[in-house]
Amino acid sequence: MFNKILIANRGEIALRIIRTCKEMGIHTVAVYSEADKDALHVVLADEAVCIGPPSSKESYLKVPSIISAAQITGADAIHPGYGFLAENADFSEICEESGIKFIGPSPDMITRMGDKALAKATMRNVGVPVVPGSDGALKDEAEALIIAEEIGYPVMLKASAGGGGKGMRIVWKADELKKAYQTASNEAGAAFGNAELYLEKYIENPRHIEIQVMGDTFGNVYSYGERDCTVQRRHQKLIEEAPSSFIDEATRQKMSDAAVLGAKSVNYEGAGTIEFLVDKHKNFYFIEMNTRIQVEHPVTEMIQNIDLIKLQIQIAAGKEIEFKPNKPNGHSFEFRINAEDPEFGFRPSPGKIEYLHFPGGFGVRVDSHIYDEYIIPPYYDSLVAKLIVWGTSREHAIARAKRAFEEFMIEGIKTTIPFHKKVLENEDFISGNYDTSFIDKHFLKR
Amino acid sequence: MDINLLKRLIKVVEASDITDFSVQEGDLKVRISKARPQQAQVYYSQAPEVNTVPQPVQSAPAPSAAPVEKSQVTASDKLYEVKSPIVGTFYRAPSPEADPYIQVGDKITPGNVLCIVEAMKLMNEIESDVAGKVVKILVENGKPVEYNQPLFVIEKD
Repeated sequence: MFNKILIANRGEIALRIIRTCKEMGIHTVAVYSEADKDALHVVLADEAVCIGPPSSKESYLKVPSIISAAQITGADAIHPGYGFLAENADFSEICEESGIKFIGPSPDMITRMGDKALAKATMRNVGVPVVPGSDGALKDEAEALIIAEEIGYPVMLKASAGGGGKGMRIVWKADELKKAYQTASNEAGAAFGNAELYLEKYIENPRHIEIQVMGDTFGNVYSYGERDCTVQRRHQKLIEEAPSSFIDEATRQKMSDAAVLGAKSVNYEGAGTIEFLVDKHKNFYFIEMNTRIQVEHPVTEMIQNIDLIKLQIQIAAGKEIEFKPNKPNGHSFEFRINAEDPEFGFRPSPGKIEYLHFPGGFGVRVDSHIYDEYIIPPYYDSLVAKLIVWGTSREHAIARAKRAFEEFMIEGIKTTIPFHKKVLENEDFISGNYDTSFIDKHFLKR
Repeated sequence: MDINLLKRLIKVVEASDITDFSVQEGDLKVRISKARPQQAQVYYSQAPEVNTVPQPVQSAPAPSAAPVEKSQVTASDKLYEVKSPIVGTFYRAPSPEADPYIQVGDKITPGNVLCIVEAMKLMNEIESDVAGKVVKILVENGKPVEYNQPLFVIEKD
């Protein structure tokens, strides 16, 4: 087992990883930018190294600084968390070359799955259903037009190297395609340094359902069940739940089997998430695979009664998976609480936390790095806390979430807490009757 | 006394010639003492060769002024702190057998190499931005340094 792990991340996930390491008796090294010198992950780690100025590019994304920090502290493994360098194949490779274990998949696996177009081709080859579309990256607009004609409008242009909604455009008619192609391509180039696009059929009003898989170095791959992440705003997830109230047991089994098949076909190691879109007829289509731990991993942990970070570390240390999937127990929701103002287009709201009180009680979990009088730096993402609830049923989990939000106080900044409270009162949400257009339809001002 | 201040105090003491220092804030007393001389140890942590943190101890109030003085001194206009632009290991000389680039008292000009910070097997030469005299060397040879960690104090011309 590792002696010392460096956590190449910040915020709530850095704290999450440090917590599991402490429980496992593993020493922890935090890295931080100057803007994070008062951050909780810095205080709670055994050691901390300042790696750069506030800008992410000069700190959390700066590979030499992170590797150097690992070397001077003698860390034998690096956990990249999510975002930042978590899906950076170069970083995975440099760790390997430096004799430091990257807690995640190999550079080859990251490349194969990280290239969205290539991942689709890989899945299709093993019989996993994929969204109809281009066979890899598009050569140019002309090719896009031809393929769009074949598969039928509406279609979606997406960035090969990206995610999070950037470099994405929905095209409803042929005469809109050229302009959409150009803008999407420019956006992708700016966001990811890669302007390549691919095309796929736009599935209207889908549910976004993903499968958590874990693979070890012994060739075992298991599915730990699904998460339903349909409640999104601009392709950013806001509320996630497990299990999904939308799919039946047969579909669940088919999706799990497909996910395991796909992961096995690349000898996948570590934590991975296979994302599917599910249409109203319960047909599911592979869209992408994330080769990292995800923000919403806690909802799987709650119904599976398992520590996924611990499993990641064990797999990376060469152990065979001992925590096999359980029969899921109960229902869990996660609510992402961002420092954003829902009244003003969810604009970011950094600042000082004047008063803080987390909810508690049975079945309530808060994963958060904030504390009373903490000043949220403006340089990073706006996630400040995750409220995770567990209940014996979906109804019970909703009742518990409502109760927890009554106790949840964050003052001094604007947060999405009022927004979540409204969602919990919404009939469609309560009945489980929604798709990815839910937020737009009910909550965004026109 | 908040934990970050405590950590910074420990670092200051560790990097200096001070062997024993204590400070009092309200009714919390902190005493930090270390054995001399410091050996080159490959270790980086919050509380290394420092023995006791924090234990209320009836100690002589005397050197409490020292670190404060030190930071006042470094804050003045004539004194310039050279900080590490990268994370790595600090070396005084280009190789183990060679002489150090500079000693206390040396006169330097902009562009003079002051030290090496090694990161990922690359030896990065750290040059001076100012002209002046080397007043203090803040880090021991072979010790790790983090981003913006002060390395030298230069008295500007």
